[in-house]
Amino acid sequence: MLYREAGQFKTTYVADQQIFPILQDRVFVLAVTVVAFLAVPMFASPYLYTEILIPFLILSLAAIGLNILVGYCGQVSLGTGGFMAVGAYAAYNLWLRVPEVNNLVVVFLFGGVMAAAVGILFGIPSLRIKGFYLAVATLASQFFLDWLFARVKWLTNYTPSGSVAVGNLSVFGWKIETPADRYLLILGLVVLATLVAKNLVRGHIGRSWMAIRDMDIAAEIIGFRPLRTKLTAFAVSSFFIGVAGAMWAFLRLGAWEPLAFDINRSFQILFMVIIGGLGSLLGSFLGAAFIVLMPILLNQLPGWFGIRMSTALLSHLEFMVFGAMIVFFLIVEPHGLARLWAVAKEKLRLWPFPH
Amino acid sequence: MAGRVRSFPDVLLSVANISLSFGGVKALTDISFDIAKGEIRAIIGPNGAGKSSMLNCINGFYHPQQGAITYKGVRRSQMRPHEAAEQGIARTFQNIALFRGMSTLDNIMTGRNLRMKTGLFWQALHIGPAQREEIEHRKAVERIIDFLEIQHIRKAPVGQLPYGLQKRVELGRALAAEPELLLLDEPMAGMNIEEKQDMCRFILDVNDEFGTTICLIEHDMGVVMDISDRVVVLDYGRKIGDGVPDEVRSNEAVVAAYLGVSH
Repeated sequence: MLYREAGQFKTTYVADQQIFPILQDRVFVLAVTVVAFLAVPMFASPYLYTEILIPFLILSLAAIGLNILVGYCGQVSLGTGGFMAVGAYAAYNLWLRVPEVNNLVVVFLFGGVMAAAVGILFGIPSLRIKGFYLAVATLASQFFLDWLFARVKWLTNYTPSGSVAVGNLSVFGWKIETPADRYLLILGLVVLATLVAKNLVRGHIGRSWMAIRDMDIAAEIIGFRPLRTKLTAFAVSSFFIGVAGAMWAFLRLGAWEPLAFDINRSFQILFMVIIGGLGSLLGSFLGAAFIVLMPILLNQLPGWFGIRMSTALLSHLEFMVFGAMIVFFLIVEPHGLARLWAVAKEKLRLWPFPH
Repeated sequence: MAGRVRSFPDVLLSVANISLSFGGVKALTDISFDIAKGEIRAIIGPNGAGKSSMLNCINGFYHPQQGAITYKGVRRSQMRPHEAAEQGIARTFQNIALFRGMSTLDNIMTGRNLRMKTGLFWQALHIGPAQREEIEHRKAVERIIDFLEIQHIRKAPVGQLPYGLQKRVELGRALAAEPELLLLDEPMAGMNIEEKQDMCRFILDVNDEFGTTICLIEHDMGVVMDISDRVVVLDYGRKIGDGVPDEVRSNEAVVAAYLGVSH
C-alpha cells in the first residue's frame, strides 16, 4: 500500500535517470541519512561508535571498492588487504613527512591515489588471465605488499616492529578527537564516496565494466577496449579501497602494523561483497553490516538468555555459527542480501493484492 | 518473388583472396567479393561453409593468413575488433551475445559507448557535461527503442526476455552505434514465421531509412532471396557463387551444394 510507484510519472529523462526513481525510496534514504548524521550522535555510546558504527562504515567503503572490481567488472581480486595497506601507509608517510598538510581529507585522498596506482600495476595481468588465475595473481600482490611493508623500513619510518601511530588529527581546522568526531567524518566521506560510486556505475563507465563482465568478446566488438576498461575498474576500485585503508588505520586503529592488512582482511572484504550481493552498492553495506554485526551478536546472544559459557567455547561457537550462516545464506540466496531486499521490495509493491 | 533489383555504384568493402586456417583446417580459401554501399548483401552456404569466419575476419576478430580487406578505400592489415567498431562496423551474433546482467536500455546504451567521451571526473559527479551527454544519447537510444517496438521491455533485464526479443535488442545495440556497415549473423535463426517477418521488416527499414549497408548470414532461403540485393555462396570455405538472387538460384554449383548431385 505504502510502497508503490503508481502515479509517479516521469516526463523528463533526468527524472527517469535519477538514482532513486521511486519517491518512497528517496524519502527512506533521506531519512536514514538524517538519522545517521543528526540522531545517532545524540545517543550513541563510545562502544557503539568504535566497535560497530566506525568499522561498519569503513569496511562498507572497502566493500564498495571491491564490488566495483568483482561485482561490476567481473575481475576477481584477493589483494584487497594489500591495497588497503598501500592506502594506509601512503597516507601515513604523507602525514609524517609533510606536516604542513595537516588535513585528513588530503591525506586520505593521497592514500587512495597511491593505491589506485598500485592497483593499475597489478591489474595489468588481467588482460591475459581470468577467473581463478587472476585471483591467484592478485593473491601474489597481497603477499608482495605484505612483504614490502614489513621489510622496507623507510615506509614504516624505521620503527622496530613496523608499528606506526598517528595522532593530533584535523580536517580543515576541525580537530578530530572524540569517537563522535571520527564517526561524523567517516560518515560524511562514506556518503560522498557512495554517491561517486553510484554515479560511476550508472554512467557509461559503469556500463563498460558490466559489458566486460557479462561478455568480454561482445564488449570488444562494439568498441570497448578491454585493457583500458579493466584498468579503470582496478584504479577506481583500488582508490576506494585505499581510502578505506587509510581511514581504517587513522580513525579506527590509530596505531597499527602491517598485520592489520593481511590476507584475512582480503577474505573478510570479499565475503562482505559475496554475502551482500555482487554488483550492488546496497549489498556492500548489507554485507559489511552482516560481517561486522553478526560476530558481536553471536557473542552477546548466550548472555541475553542467561546461558553461561566459557570464553573459549563462546568464541569457537561464534566461528561455527558464523560459518554455518554464510553457507546457509549462499544456498538460500546466491545473489546475496541485496537480492533478498530487492525481492522484498518487489513483493511490497504488490502487497496486499498480489494478483 | 524475384529480389529487388537496385544498383549500387560505390564499393564500401572489398575482400580480396582471403585465406584463413586454424592449424590444418582451412576455414576459408581464396575468397574474394565486395559489398557495395547501401546494399543488402547475403552470405549463404551449408553448415561449416565458413560464413561466420568470414564475418569474423571483416570485423577484426580473426586475422586471415592471406589476402586483404579494403574498407572505405583503405586497405588494412591487422585490425582489432574495437578499431573496426570505431570505423563504423557493427554486428550481431549467431548465439545472442547480450550483456545479461543489464537492462534492455543499458544494453542499447552500450552501443553508443564510442560516442560518449566524458571522463572519470564528470562521470563521478554526474552533472554538467556527463548528464547532458547521458540525456543526449538516451534520446538517440529511445528512437531506436521506438523503431524496434520494444518500449515495454525498456527496463527489463535482458536475461529474462524471450529469444525473439533478445535478438531484437541485440539488433538495437548494433544500430545504436549508427554503423555504416552492419553485419548480421543469422538474425532469424530459431524464430517463428511472425518473428521472421518482423525481423525482415526491421532489416529492410534500417537499410531504407538509415542507408545502412547490411551484410547478413541466413539459412532461410526464402528470406535471403526476398530481401537481399546480392548473394555470395560459400561451401567448404570456397566461394561457389556470387550474384543477384536469380543468378544464384540457377547456379549449378549452388544447387549441387544444397541439394547434392547425382553421380
